[in-house]
Amino acid sequence: MNEEIDEYDIYHQDFTTASEWEIFIARIEEIIKDWRLSKSSLSKLSGGYTKKWIGKSEEIQFQGNKYILSYHMLEPVKSAEETVETKNNSILVDLHNGIWESTTKFMDDLDGSPFPVSSWYGLKRYLMLYSSLPLVDGNLIKLVMSSANIAFANTDCGVPFFVKIREHWQPTYLGFYEDTEHKVSFDTIHLKRISNQCSHLSGLVSLFKSKIASPVALDAVVVSTKFSYELKDVDAFAWRKTTQSNEFLSIEGFDVRKLLELPFGSEKNPIQSVLLNTIWPKFRECAIVDSSTFSEYDPLMAPTWTITLKMRENFNCQLSETISKIMDLLDNTNLLMDTLGLSKSLGLVNPLHKITEAPITISKLVKAAMGQSKHMSDFKGPIADDLLMPLLYYIFPDAVDDNTFNYPEQLEVEFKQVDGGQKLCSYVKTSPEGGLVWRVSVTAARLLDAGGLPYLAHLWYEFCQELQYRWEHRILVPGVADGTPNARTCLLHQKLQLLNCCIKRALDGTGSVAGNSSEDEFFDCSEGENDEQLPWDRPVGRLSKFGDATLKNGAPLYIPRTQDPAPKTEDQLEEDAELMVRLGDDAKASELRARMMSASLLSDMEAFKAANPGAELCDFVRWYSPRDWKPDDGGALGDRMLLPGNPWVEAWSVARPVPAARQRRLFDETREAEQVLHFLRSRTVSTATELLLPAILRAGATKAHEEGVPCTSSSVGGVDTRRTFEIAARELYDAEREACRSLCLRTVLGTSEEGKPLDVAGRNRILSAAGGGLPAAARREFTLRVRDSVAPQVMRTALATDMTIIGVFTERIVCL
Amino acid sequence: METIHENSNNNVEDEDDMTGDAKWQKDAADQNFDYMFKLLIIGNSSVGKTSFLFRYADDSFTSAFVSTVGIDFKVKTVFRHDKRVKLQIWDTAGQERYRTITTAYYRGAMGFILMYDITNEESFNSVQDWVTQIKTYSWDNAQVILVGNKCDMEEERVVSTERGMQLAEQLGVEFYETSAKENIYVKAVFERLVDIICDKMSESLDSEPAMLAGGARGQRLTEQPQGNSTTNCNC
Repeated sequence: MNEEIDEYDIYHQDFTTASEWEIFIARIEEIIKDWRLSKSSLSKLSGGYTKKWIGKSEEIQFQGNKYILSYHMLEPVKSAEETVETKNNSILVDLHNGIWESTTKFMDDLDGSPFPVSSWYGLKRYLMLYSSLPLVDGNLIKLVMSSANIAFANTDCGVPFFVKIREHWQPTYLGFYEDTEHKVSFDTIHLKRISNQCSHLSGLVSLFKSKIASPVALDAVVVSTKFSYELKDVDAFAWRKTTQSNEFLSIEGFDVRKLLELPFGSEKNPIQSVLLNTIWPKFRECAIVDSSTFSEYDPLMAPTWTITLKMRENFNCQLSETISKIMDLLDNTNLLMDTLGLSKSLGLVNPLHKITEAPITISKLVKAAMGQSKHMSDFKGPIADDLLMPLLYYIFPDAVDDNTFNYPEQLEVEFKQVDGGQKLCSYVKTSPEGGLVWRVSVTAARLLDAGGLPYLAHLWYEFCQELQYRWEHRILVPGVADGTPNARTCLLHQKLQLLNCCIKRALDGTGSVAGNSSEDEFFDCSEGENDEQLPWDRPVGRLSKFGDATLKNGAPLYIPRTQDPAPKTEDQLEEDAELMVRLGDDAKASELRARMMSASLLSDMEAFKAANPGAELCDFVRWYSPRDWKPDDGGALGDRMLLPGNPWVEAWSVARPVPAARQRRLFDETREAEQVLHFLRSRTVSTATELLLPAILRAGATKAHEEGVPCTSSSVGGVDTRRTFEIAARELYDAEREACRSLCLRTVLGTSEEGKPLDVAGRNRILSAAGGGLPAAARREFTLRVRDSVAPQVMRTALATDMTIIGVFTERIVCL
Repeated sequence: METIHENSNNNVEDEDDMTGDAKWQKDAADQNFDYMFKLLIIGNSSVGKTSFLFRYADDSFTSAFVSTVGIDFKVKTVFRHDKRVKLQIWDTAGQERYRTITTAYYRGAMGFILMYDITNEESFNSVQDWVTQIKTYSWDNAQVILVGNKCDMEEERVVSTERGMQLAEQLGVEFYETSAKENIYVKAVFERLVDIICDKMSESLDSEPAMLAGGARGQRLTEQPQGNSTTNCNC
């Protein structure tokens, strides 16, 4: 066995005397065979092609240099893949057709393939040999070309073969294709200067004809010409600038109105350059005279004008900048008040400080109203009062007798529109548009943009101080939707709603009365009852009769006034839920949960007992859970209520008759309000940002729509807050850039499309933007073509600061 | 509840970020599932929500359960397409007075089982109300299945199967008639709901590739309120 292996090894020892050159050729052949590119195995695709280029490549070593042989082809349309018996001839016909069709385009109309040869010659597939070191030495080029030729012939290759020559930056490729009767050569000349003979049409035509060297008279050469003009002063296309973002900081020109909106649009003109192409699509060689001394080319008379716009890759958009500055804060986990060095004095670092040191409670607004001079101990933030005061008046417009910035009477919590497209970022939880949360958020974003984090922190500080003042003095926070915290709104709005609930409650009863009636503290009892009241079981806290229902003892059943469940914000609810989840899901935990949830049941029972003296549990159940009540015998409990260990029975047994008004409050407004205030003050930079971002994003989206960004239908669900913010911000970035681009396109192109012929209005607009006349052409291109007896012959010339001439010529192989 | 709440709130804010990390690790450790879905069972009082849940989670049936006080939940882990899906199923009180408390838990629920009792007309008439509640309080893409329970009590039936189907069609939701007592279609309802949620999830993943990184698992981890660590919870 072992011996056999040895023999095998020896057998593979290379004793041949093949030269490196032969190995190089053999390797190329091997690869072409591997890729199955011979004429016979190439499948001719009857169907079409997509516009996508696909390719593969292999490395070859030759003379200590690395070569890459690559194959590129247009991706065929998949369904149409059927192999047809291929005649060698049909590949050539196909090639010629491609070459002829390509002459309607110009050299710079690239098709997306890795090398320009395919667009120059209208190829659908080609091979490219690319050397890692530039092939500049003439002898080496010849050697490589002959190798390619030999390999091509040996494999009967069916794909044009190109070799990249000269310096890498030069667009120079030599190529060929052969079958038994024809040879097609693809040539390139690239010169850094324009030779005299080639600088005009007549010189090029004679060069073309001499190259074909046709033994018989040719048809007239057909010419296409494109002159391109670079319009440098692109600002002439009235680029509209939007608000300068930090303008409002200069006190002179300060106007709060400038804060109302987020900035939008590009700071600089996003157009890098505008290229005007004047095109003569097709004429015979004598129709226009263009020689070294005289030219009939007049771009103003060119039949077709098109525009090529070049946009800056990176242009700064103002809204995106503002938002990304805010987004950057999401990673900052320091306390926001630390930015101002206030964490200690606000009692945020050590909770004990809260007791020993009263927080500063007088807000700037109050002081301003009282005309008090500033105390020495007062905190002085980075924002000057001259700027700060108008900002605060803007956020809390009710603090001043000026109606300019009052909030609308009715604040609508905007719900998703059902019809048509949705607004951008519609999945970000909102708060009433133009409400306080919007104002404080947008202001914060603008201040951050203008003065950095300290400005934002200062605003937040003043905001919290004002809320604290309002709570202590029972002044409702304006610009917040009525009612209990609405979980469809953003958390900051919910917190303010909760604070307002606290303030309202405190206002209603100065803390002494609870109950779901906020308007009147008095509990009406019907007059009849007042007469026959007994001191020890006088019914109290009745709301209304419960239809005709009676208690088991025959007395009418009254619905009691009850306490509303405590309003909660979503973070509190999540905390509650989390707490319950932590208990586990066994029976014991279940019982514990029932007990936890019994607070409001007990409260309702006590209120019921107070309103209905002598009532039994079945009476309560009749009102509270009618399906658990049976009418038998004047009222009885359903089966479920009779189970042992029933929390309903237990609660009933401990419930004392206490009207809601005298019960322990389910909602402790003082504690809740303090918690809200502490919550806001103790935010980290990152969590404060999370509170502000929803309104900023939504305000940004609104702004974008005002600027003409269309609605989309993106929906985002089931991702966490942070991720939602990122998606929303990305959406706004894209929208803003797109808006900038399309605005530019419209100002330059009007109603025309890029690359398509301009209408008369468009031509006039461009001409006037260019100052009435055109500069010297930046680039001139000529395509010359003729069909002789053999095949189409094509030569293209591009003249800019350098000169590129490419040509494809087919000759018959004559074997003498 | 009150006292516990107080406990948990005092230090929460300050500790937010410190406990955050530790909690992540802790969660990662006792996580033996790939996805977690939060489901809710809602419907009028005594339509059989608790029985339905016990049948599914414990495969047991008792003719009467104590009327649920507020809200309760059970956990069940199922396998779906080689993925472990942990279902956190919340059982709610159906009484009118509990609406405010229970609707607070709608948020974050990915699926709803909306139940009525085929022997009780009123519970069927309330379905529309419950749908409104879902629309108002839940996420927009929460999935709903309509369930007519107690289909074993054919003699007492007052809501025909056709009416149930019609209503379901009108609401654009799927429909099952079930019996928790006879164990009819109980498992099927949950499995179907999980499937619908999975479909919806992959659908939105397709349309928004950026979301891939923040799929259901990430959501579960980060959406939990942080802080409130076990040391605070003396319950």
